[in-house]
Amino acid sequence: MSEEVKVDKEHSHVQHVEPYTPQFGTMIPSSGQKFMRTCVIWQIIRFIAINIKMTTLILKSHH
Amino acid sequence: MAKIVILGAGVAGHTAASFAAKWLGNEHEVIVVSPNSKWNWIPSNIWVGVGEMSKEEVTFDLAPVYAKTKANFKQAKALSINPEGSESNNSPFVTVEYTGQGKEGTTEDVAYDYLINATGPKLNFGATPGLGEGTNLGEHTVSVCTADHAIHASHELDKCIEKMKAGERQKFLIGTGHGMCTCQGAAFEYIFNIEHKLQERGVRDMADMTWISNESFLGDFGMGGLHFKMGGFVTSSKVFAESLYAERGMDWIIGAHVNKVESGMVTYETLDGAIDTQDFDFAMLIPPFAGVGMKAYSKDGSDITDTVFAPNGMMKVDADYSKATYADWEPSDWPKTLQSPAYKNIFAAGIAFAPPHPISKPMKSPNGTPITPTPPRTGMPSAMMGKAVISSIRDMINGAPEPTHTSCMAEMGAACVASAGKGMLSGTAAAMTVFPIVPDFKKYPGTGRDINGTTGEIGLAAHWVKHLLHHAFIWKAKLKPGWTLIPE
Ligand SMILES: Cc1cc2nc3c(=O)[nH]c(=O)nc-3n(C[C@H](O)[C@H](O)[C@H](O)COP(=O)(O)OP(=O)(O)OC[C@H]3O[C@@H](n4cnc5c(N)ncnc54)[C@H](O)[C@@H]3O)c2cc1C
Repeated sequence: MSEEVKVDKEHSHVQHVEPYTPQFGTMIPSSGQKFMRTCVIWQIIRFIAINIKMTTLILKSHH
Repeated sequence: MAKIVILGAGVAGHTAASFAAKWLGNEHEVIVVSPNSKWNWIPSNIWVGVGEMSKEEVTFDLAPVYAKTKANFKQAKALSINPEGSESNNSPFVTVEYTGQGKEGTTEDVAYDYLINATGPKLNFGATPGLGEGTNLGEHTVSVCTADHAIHASHELDKCIEKMKAGERQKFLIGTGHGMCTCQGAAFEYIFNIEHKLQERGVRDMADMTWISNESFLGDFGMGGLHFKMGGFVTSSKVFAESLYAERGMDWIIGAHVNKVESGMVTYETLDGAIDTQDFDFAMLIPPFAGVGMKAYSKDGSDITDTVFAPNGMMKVDADYSKATYADWEPSDWPKTLQSPAYKNIFAAGIAFAPPHPISKPMKSPNGTPITPTPPRTGMPSAMMGKAVISSIRDMINGAPEPTHTSCMAEMGAACVASAGKGMLSGTAAAMTVFPIVPDFKKYPGTGRDINGTTGEIGLAAHWVKHLLHHAFIWKAKLKPGWTLIPE
């Protein structure tokens, strides 16, 4: 009888990756990284940062 | 009084027309020629294609907008240019054929002093057998290139979702439908939106999702890839893109030229020369782009299309078209003023100008099939070109001997936001900035791009930016109060 293995939190979001597939050879975000992507306070800061970056880009691009 | 004729009312043409009407409309005549009665914010077609937006939310009627300004709108398509006039008419003119305004099918010669060609792409579905006929989408696949295509795509997607709910697995194939396609970014955004939709509808586990594209590596985007700082590394967009697919359990086929589309199956050739097939229940494959196929005639009526246009139908401008090999390419090959070398009162902007060569390194399969992304000309550069060109024309009307403004893809950046989902807290997106669009390996050794100006990140913030851009650009295009304050 096989014992059921409990998947811990750090592995739950990578468990779909099969060894030696192309997906196996790249990086997958950690649970912490995924949390930050949807953390509203951090994302408000990033929203301001992205807008500054894009505005700088536009100013650099106009001739 | 000068006559300025603008062909096309898309991103580049409408930008040029808006500034032309503002700056020149009182004293000069501004004429806009475009076959569609509506303006379309094409980037949001992606949301239409997954049923998150209606056609009405991404389009609006052009006539009332131009009626507010001093621009004269002709709902017509340009057929040919006579840059020297004709034997009976000394003024240069464009021959147009009406597609609306009650004059459908009638032709007219529209005289000009200055001409802007901003006719965008011909959606060349016919280049791949089975993908479509000419500019018409075929029966086997869907498209998101126009708002109507996107509505059709959304209905087909709903049918697949219903099948999955009933327990039937479905195969999704998204990407490019030919070895010489551009616009990978649009397909990239669409596959993530579908994935998001399937998650939302609780059927993701019933779907096999595959990306197919002509990029030699994932994340090439027709720009030879890009590098940015991430997690303490200077990271390639290859890693960034692969990570996005791997995270979502999606497969990828790259370096692929789709050479045949049949019901439920594509045949493709890869860079190693292998020929293979891929089954699908739902496929969205971007067609290759060409110029819209205008002709040009000299005063005596002889065909000078080859002088004015490149073989792909896009308009020749001040680019260096002589560089055949990748090793010889320089950023200075790229056009600056976008003026026709043959006729100084003709300019091209956006997808309508002929690029000097690709940005991605050209590749061929051992069978000699070219499999190389052609260069993207996305929204921001297209709008900037439209504004630069009309700024030069304004100054030339006022006496400047040469164009006064430049808009060069080797000197400008681009911002791209690929967003999945529409909810303010449930959506997610990748935001990328790249500077310059055309890499300069002498100025920025190793990566070709300014590491501080080239960025990529994923999260809700990028998704909010996409929403902001949607509303801001539609506001601007409708010429609502303060439109000039919204940058291109
Ligand atoms: C699905 C999709 C999603 C995209 N998403 C993004 C994105 O997120 N960000 C981004 O920056 N870019 C995006 N793009 C690219 C962007 O849409 C193009 O870069 C932009 O539209 C190019 O502008 P343009 O003015 O050259 O061409 P268009 O906007 O296509 O305008 C061409 C105009 O010319 C008219 N025309 C055609 N033939 C004739 C003729 N014979 N005579 C007169 N007029 C004619 C057309 O009706 C149209 O009005 C996307 C493209 C697609 C297809």
